[in-house]
Amino acid sequence: MSIANVLEIARKYPCREQIITELNDLIGSPSEPLPNAIYVYGHTGTGKTAIVTEFLQSLPIKSKILSCIECYTSKLLYEHVLNSFYSHTVSKSNNYTPFVKCESMHGFIESLRQLPADSSYIICLEDAERLRDMDINILPTVLRLQEMTGLNICTILISQLPFDKFYLKTGLVEVQTIFFPQYTKAETQTILGNDFVNVKKRLASKLDNNEWSKILDDLESDFYDNYLNIFLNVFYRACRDFPELRSISRDCFQVYVEPVLNGTIDRNDVSKLWRNISKPLSAALTAVYMRMDSAAENQSNKALEDNQSFKRISQSVELPYYAKYLLIAAYLASHNAANQDKRLFVKNHGKQKKRLQTVNAQAKVTEKMQTNLGPKSFTVDRLLAIFYAILDEKVGLTCNLLSQISSLVHLKFLSFVSGEGNLMEGSARLQCTVGLDFVSHIGRIVGFNVMQYLCDFM
Amino acid sequence: MDPTLSVSKGVFVFNGASERSKQKGRRKSSKKVVDVSSLLGKEITDQPYYQTYKKTWQSLKADIERIHEEHCTKTMTEIMEFIKSSYENNMDNILPTAALLTGINQPDHHQQFKTLSDHIQDEHFGACTILEGRDCPNLKATIEAMVSGFIDGADNDEDDDEDDHNKKSLRRGQYTMHVLESWYKTEYPDGKKTLVVILPGFECFNIQNLQDFILIMHSYCNRIPLVLVLGVATAISALHSSLPYHVTSRMQLKIFQLESALTGLNNIIEEVLLSPYYKFHLSGKSFTFLTDTFLFYDFSIHGFVQGVKYCLMEHFHQGNAFSLCDDYFDSLEKISKLSHEDFEMIRQLPSFRPYVESFKDEPKEIIALLTDDEHLKKTLPGLLKECHIFLLLFRCFLEFFTVLVHDLPKAPVGRLRREVYSRCVSSKITELAEFKECWQMIGFLSKTEFVTKLQAAQDQTLKFCKENLSDDSISVECKEVVNSKFEKMDELLERVINAGMEATSKSSQEQTDLSKLSRRELKEKLLIMSKTEKPISEFIKSLNETLNYIKSEIILKHLLPFKKEGPPLLELFVFSDINSIRSHIVGAPRAALHTALNDPHHYLQCSCCEISATDDLLSTMPDICIAYKLHLESGRLINLYDWLQAFRYVVEPNHDDESEDVDPQIQARFTRAVAELQFLGYIKSTKRKTDHVTRLTW
Repeated sequence: MSIANVLEIARKYPCREQIITELNDLIGSPSEPLPNAIYVYGHTGTGKTAIVTEFLQSLPIKSKILSCIECYTSKLLYEHVLNSFYSHTVSKSNNYTPFVKCESMHGFIESLRQLPADSSYIICLEDAERLRDMDINILPTVLRLQEMTGLNICTILISQLPFDKFYLKTGLVEVQTIFFPQYTKAETQTILGNDFVNVKKRLASKLDNNEWSKILDDLESDFYDNYLNIFLNVFYRACRDFPELRSISRDCFQVYVEPVLNGTIDRNDVSKLWRNISKPLSAALTAVYMRMDSAAENQSNKALEDNQSFKRISQSVELPYYAKYLLIAAYLASHNAANQDKRLFVKNHGKQKKRLQTVNAQAKVTEKMQTNLGPKSFTVDRLLAIFYAILDEKVGLTCNLLSQISSLVHLKFLSFVSGEGNLMEGSARLQCTVGLDFVSHIGRIVGFNVMQYLCDFM
Repeated sequence: MDPTLSVSKGVFVFNGASERSKQKGRRKSSKKVVDVSSLLGKEITDQPYYQTYKKTWQSLKADIERIHEEHCTKTMTEIMEFIKSSYENNMDNILPTAALLTGINQPDHHQQFKTLSDHIQDEHFGACTILEGRDCPNLKATIEAMVSGFIDGADNDEDDDEDDHNKKSLRRGQYTMHVLESWYKTEYPDGKKTLVVILPGFECFNIQNLQDFILIMHSYCNRIPLVLVLGVATAISALHSSLPYHVTSRMQLKIFQLESALTGLNNIIEEVLLSPYYKFHLSGKSFTFLTDTFLFYDFSIHGFVQGVKYCLMEHFHQGNAFSLCDDYFDSLEKISKLSHEDFEMIRQLPSFRPYVESFKDEPKEIIALLTDDEHLKKTLPGLLKECHIFLLLFRCFLEFFTVLVHDLPKAPVGRLRREVYSRCVSSKITELAEFKECWQMIGFLSKTEFVTKLQAAQDQTLKFCKENLSDDSISVECKEVVNSKFEKMDELLERVINAGMEATSKSSQEQTDLSKLSRRELKEKLLIMSKTEKPISEFIKSLNETLNYIKSEIILKHLLPFKKEGPPLLELFVFSDINSIRSHIVGAPRAALHTALNDPHHYLQCSCCEISATDDLLSTMPDICIAYKLHLESGRLINLYDWLQAFRYVVEPNHDDESEDVDPQIQARFTRAVAELQFLGYIKSTKRKTDHVTRLTW
């Protein structure tokens, strides 16, 4: 590939010149033999896929980029690659049939061999770690395609894991590896800074005020750099994921720039701007990775903050009255030992003998607390027995009640541990998957003190 | 489809338009003809009661649907806006996702998602496919279901009639994202149409599948405008806890909230069931039963509506006399169609008897009422009118009373119209402790509070009258009653406003110096003071007068329970058979099984199995019943051999005990009965003891 092209890509993806040159050295010239396989790895959001894709598209080589997640059967992998190498497109006219039917690796190699040998081919597989879960022969074979087909063909694997994680018992051929390191803070700032034009454009499309858009146009990149500096100082500790940083910085910039647009703060008054933005920034910091709607309206921001608190979450789940009790009963069944049931739920349970042994056994150590050990399983019968014990009124055992159990399972508040098929027989075991906070909140709503019925807190 | 006479005569096969007509019907619901009578014969559908039922139910249904529609329009339009605008400035290649918080009852929401998808399709900016968790056990099935949903769905839309059969549909395995992409490019080369994927029950999906599915959708969203709509039944936190960051980072999540099931129910009750337009009423018990089922068990509006429908059916099915439960002027025509039996039925209504007895001094009138159909026919309109007026006034003053009590602290009678209604309908409200509490609290109100409250109540009632009452004679009569009562009340209110706050005290003259009294004297004095009535201010006095007026003239006269206190023939308008709906709407599987096995006569109605006491055991009963009853007598572990012997003894009482070997036929019958019990989940085999089985129920 010409130097100009390389520079073009390098300009588009700053801070990656070295890697791009490396790629160019490996596969840049189509006339030379390609390496057997290249393994590209690095953390998410470091530009692996973007750079490789861009690079391959600018090469005069037939290439196919494919995600392994999408190839849930190996047949799809083979057929897509072949379709693309033979320039075959599925369409309504050929009733969406692939170029050849190819169900096995053998057929795949055979079909590849029939390709004209004078040109070069590249197969690029994203999310390559999924290859390990596919047919056993795929991974070793795609790394040795040159050998098997006699073509000038190269496989690029893109993954987040280091190559060590791919080793099989039978061994793999050595591959060229390219590592994409994480961007440093300075690099992040440079890249985000390059985004300024886009950010402006985006913001301008949201504003319908002409004057404001004009002020926005006048803003210089220094202003944005200042902002990014503030922004990264807050966020770089919590989050290094580039796309996430970019999306948050865009949202926060809108808040940052607003006082400048409506003229309340001068654009050069950095300290005042900082004071103005510090609160929204810390609010956004708590919502990092949540990816709620970024419309940055007050209302949604409020919803965001509300969603943080646990209370709000459990309040937003409205359950029918008996379902609440069933859930409490399930929690109690999951976090109390069955032999304590009599003591907890029967009125005249007799006197308990206190022996040193039992006292010692019951000594409360946090590690031993049932509530900290995780839920135990219980049968439907026990669930119903506890349900009837904690409910004051008398309810019939009706279909509606029983169907509540299954609807709780649907909502993932309960889960089957075993015997999902034989609910009828009574041997199915369930487990409660919600936490103490949630249950005690529900208990408070219906006026039931959950703590009182937990052995741990007695 | 030809109407078939009855279900009991056989099962009828209708050849021809099966699959296709169903599919078409699903797509174009407007074309669908609601044919309720397809199962029932003409002799039923022609009955007046059936026609009244059909009329009432259809308008009820239409109203409920309209309200439903109205209340979710807002969210729906918001979602549509989101979908429309999602690809206008999507620069980062992120999958736009709408999370719709629906509340827990999932079956109900399918309808809403269907409406949403219909809306999207009608407005022609997108195609839609709905994926159910149960159809998508793995990733392959999920993708295939989605792609086939789009491709086949669009095909069905376009070529409606002819070449549907000629078209070669694709093989299952061919539905891949690549095919979708090329299909999209040929169908919509301008890329204007958004493809919307709806997952109504997000919780029902396998999490791993869903993650991969989202990742795949994301990788295609720069080539095909895909939008994902997730129905979340619990809370947004569920979404965050089940999707890891590398998945959520590919989504642009926007949250929408549907109205909660509770408000939905309140709307339906207040705007439809309590609307004076409908003459059909539920008695207090059945009303509470239906709302309780909703609140305590399932939050299912659909279930509630079906419950109401069931009550409606039961009510009208009682006989043609109930066809009078209709608009007053329509019912006048129906009287002429009634037969002798129908009049007999009216005579047998519980409230008819007190009515007849009220003519104690006119035996002729009594005899005429009881024997002469023509005479009854003439008196009926008057009685019906009385009922209509009673019901209408009840509704008007319910409005008044609700405003009066709904915002009292802790709201003893209830905050909502439906709560107040169910209390008023089921018993004499004035006798309830809650009512007394309310009344006391109203008595403690300050002057301005009291006056504004009363005026608000009056305004609300008048507003209600204005909106809901028309100009026919009944409404006019009602309005007169309301107005006359309010006029009197205004007078009383006037007095309250003008009343002074000072106590008109008579005892103030004997102000003795308390400090000079001895201890004993003081005690006596205090005792006397406590016994003498406290001085009452004019305000209190007039307030009490007003309250008494309201109580005696409005509540005691018009908010009467729908029982014997009501006017005669009220039963025609009020459904009160709580037992039948309870047993029909709420299934109790265990209880039903127990009855069936313990007392087979209950269901079989055969002469041979009749028993007097529940623990009787007859040889004529089915084998499984005998085995079941015997197993009830045993403990946790049951010895099979003993059980067999007991079984044999019951089945063949005359058999001599000497012979050791059991007749193979009996043994086979016994084995089968045991197997059936095991299938029903009463016993299971155990390894603890040989030749024993464990009992599973108690």
